[in-house]
Amino acid sequence: MAKTIIDAHNVSKTFNPKTIPVHAVQNVHVHIEEGEFVALVGPSGSGKSTLLNMMGGLDEPTIGSVIIDGVEITKLSENKLIDFRLHNIGFVFQSFNLIPVLTAKENVGFVLQLQHMPKNDREKRVLTLLEEVGLEDKINSRPGELSGGQQQRVAVARALASKPKIILADEPTANLDSKSAANLLDIMAKLNKEEKITFLFSTHDQRVIKKARRVITLVDGKIESDVQQTPT
Amino acid sequence: MLFQIAWRNIWRNKSRSLVVISSIIIGVWAGIFILSFAWGMYKNNINESVYRQLSHIQIHHPTFGEENDSKFTITNTDEKLKQFQSNAQIASVSSRVISTGMITSPTTASGVKIYGINPASEVTQIRLNEYVREGAYFETGKENEILIGEKLAKKLKVKLKSKVVLTFTNTEAEIISGAFRIGGLYRSKNISLDEVNVYVQQEHLRELLELKPSESNEIAILVKDEEQLEAIKNYSRTVVSKGKIEDWKELSPELGMIIESFNLYTYIISGIILLALTFGIINTMLMSVLERIRELGMLMAIGLNKSKIFIMIMLETFYLTVIGCPIGLLVGWLTVTVLGKTGINLSMFSEGLASYGFSSIIYPALDQEKYVIIVTMCLITAILSAIYPAYKALQLNPSEAIRKI
Repeated sequence: MAKTIIDAHNVSKTFNPKTIPVHAVQNVHVHIEEGEFVALVGPSGSGKSTLLNMMGGLDEPTIGSVIIDGVEITKLSENKLIDFRLHNIGFVFQSFNLIPVLTAKENVGFVLQLQHMPKNDREKRVLTLLEEVGLEDKINSRPGELSGGQQQRVAVARALASKPKIILADEPTANLDSKSAANLLDIMAKLNKEEKITFLFSTHDQRVIKKARRVITLVDGKIESDVQQTPT
Repeated sequence: MLFQIAWRNIWRNKSRSLVVISSIIIGVWAGIFILSFAWGMYKNNINESVYRQLSHIQIHHPTFGEENDSKFTITNTDEKLKQFQSNAQIASVSSRVISTGMITSPTTASGVKIYGINPASEVTQIRLNEYVREGAYFETGKENEILIGEKLAKKLKVKLKSKVVLTFTNTEAEIISGAFRIGGLYRSKNISLDEVNVYVQQEHLRELLELKPSESNEIAILVKDEEQLEAIKNYSRTVVSKGKIEDWKELSPELGMIIESFNLYTYIISGIILLALTFGIINTMLMSVLERIRELGMLMAIGLNKSKIFIMIMLETFYLTVIGCPIGLLVGWLTVTVLGKTGINLSMFSEGLASYGFSSIIYPALDQEKYVIIVTMCLITAILSAIYPAYKALQLNPSEAIRKI
C-alpha cells in the first residue's frame, strides 16, 4: 500500500471570524497517497484554493491539522514552515508565478540557490528541468518575453527544482489557451508517472479534470464527492 | 542572488527610480551648496577680520584692554619688532599707538578710534593702502596727514584736503587737540568700522600723547601658517614677557562662535533636507512594495523567508540612495570647487552686505569634515527610509498576498 503523503484532518477555515464570518472550508478530511494525480474541483467560492493553500502550508486552518509526509505542518513556526515548503512542496499559481526580473534559468535556479546547491550542480539541474518542460531554447528569456503557457511551464520546472514530494497547483491552466493547457497537463502527467511526484491541483477546467485520476469535488466548503477515474 | 534581484528590481520602473535618485542628488547638492555658500560667507568675514583688522595675534599692556587708556604701553617696541621680524614663522608684524577721541569738522563731530601707525609696516599687515579710494596713502610725508573712511567723511561733510581736528586726552589726562589734513579716504569691506577708525602717523600721535619714544599700545602679528599660532604665541611670551597675548579667537570671541555654530548648522540644514528626502523615498518604496504584493507572496510561498524579503526591500532602497548620494556629492563638490575659484558676485546686495562686514563676492568653501557629515547623514537616511517599506513587506501573509489583485 502506498504511503499517505498529505493528511488533512478535520480542517476548517473561517475568514473574518469576528465580523462577518465566512466559512470557506468546513470539517474536511482528505488523504492523499504518494504518486496520486488529484484534481480539486468545484464552483467559484467553493473553497478549492483555500483548502489547497492550507494543504501547502500557505494558510493556517482555523481548526484541524495538516500532516505532510509525517510532519504536522500546522504546528510549525513561520520560518520553519517556509523552510519546509522550500524543501518539500512545489507551487504553481494561476499567475504571478515567476520573478519578473530573472530569466527562466535564474527563476528555476532561484529555489536551488535558496537551498545552497553548488553552482555547477545547479546549472545542470536547471537545464535538465527546462528541457523536461520543453523550454531549452528559452533559458535566457525573462517572463515578460514568454507566452502564458511557457511561463506556466517555467513555473512547473521551478516547482520541480527542489525535488519536492508534492506539487500544488492553483488553477494552473486558467489563463492558458487549450493547446498550452493540454501541453502543460501532459508534462505534469508525465512527471507524475515517471518521477512519482504527487500532484494536487484545483481547477474548474473540464479538460484538466479529465486528465486526473482522482477528482475531489468541493461545494460550499464541504467535500461533495471523492471519486477515482480513468484519465482520458 | 538577493543583491541581484534587488538591483534588477529597482530598474523595473526606471523613471520612478530615476526620480528618486534625482531627488537625492538634488537634495545632497543643495545641502552642500547652501553650506558651502554660508561657510564661504563666514570664512570671508573671518579672513576679513583677521587679515584686515585683528591680525592673528595682538599684544597689549595687561590693563590696556580694560581701560583703553593710551598710557598703558609696551616699551622698547622697536627692539621687540626686530625680534619678531627675525622669526621665520612670522609673516608680518607692526606696532600701533592707539587713542580714542573726537573728530571735528566745521559742521559736525564724531567719536573715533585713532590709530597711530607706521604706514610702511601696515602695507603688509592690514594692507590699508589697498582700500584708499581718494587721495593717497601717507605719501606727502607730512606729520599731520590723516586717513579717514569715506563713510566718516560723508558724515562729517568733509572732502580730501579738508582740515579736521582730533581731540583726545594724553597720558597725563590733559585734553589735547591736533589739526590734521585729510590725505586720503578709504573704504574697507566693513563699513561700520570705516566710520570709527582713523589713521595718523605714529610718531606724531606719540608726541601728542606725550609717550616716550619706542612706546606703543599694540603689537599685531600675522603668522605664515595658522597651525603655528600656538607656537608663535609662546614665542611672543618670551619677547614681551609682561604683555597680554591674545589670538584672534580671544580678541573676537564671536568669530570663534561662528565656527562652532557652523557645525550645528551643518547638521540642521542637511538634517532638514534629508528628512524631506526620507519621506519621498519611503513613499516611493512603499508604492513599489504595495504593487508587488502578489509577487512577494509568491516569493514567500516558494521558500524565501521573511528576513530575506526584508533584506531585499532594504537593499532596493539602499541602492537608490547609494547611487544618488555619491553623484550628489560629486556635483556638489564640483560646484564648490568651480564657484570657490570664480566666486559668486552679490554686488546687487553688496551695500547691505558690506555694512555687516561681508564681502560682495562670496567664494563657497566646505572642508572635508562637512562632506563626511553629509555622507554619514545620507547613509542614515538610506537606512531609515528603507526600514518602513521593508517592515511593511514583512506584514504580508503569503496566501493573503497571493489572493490580492
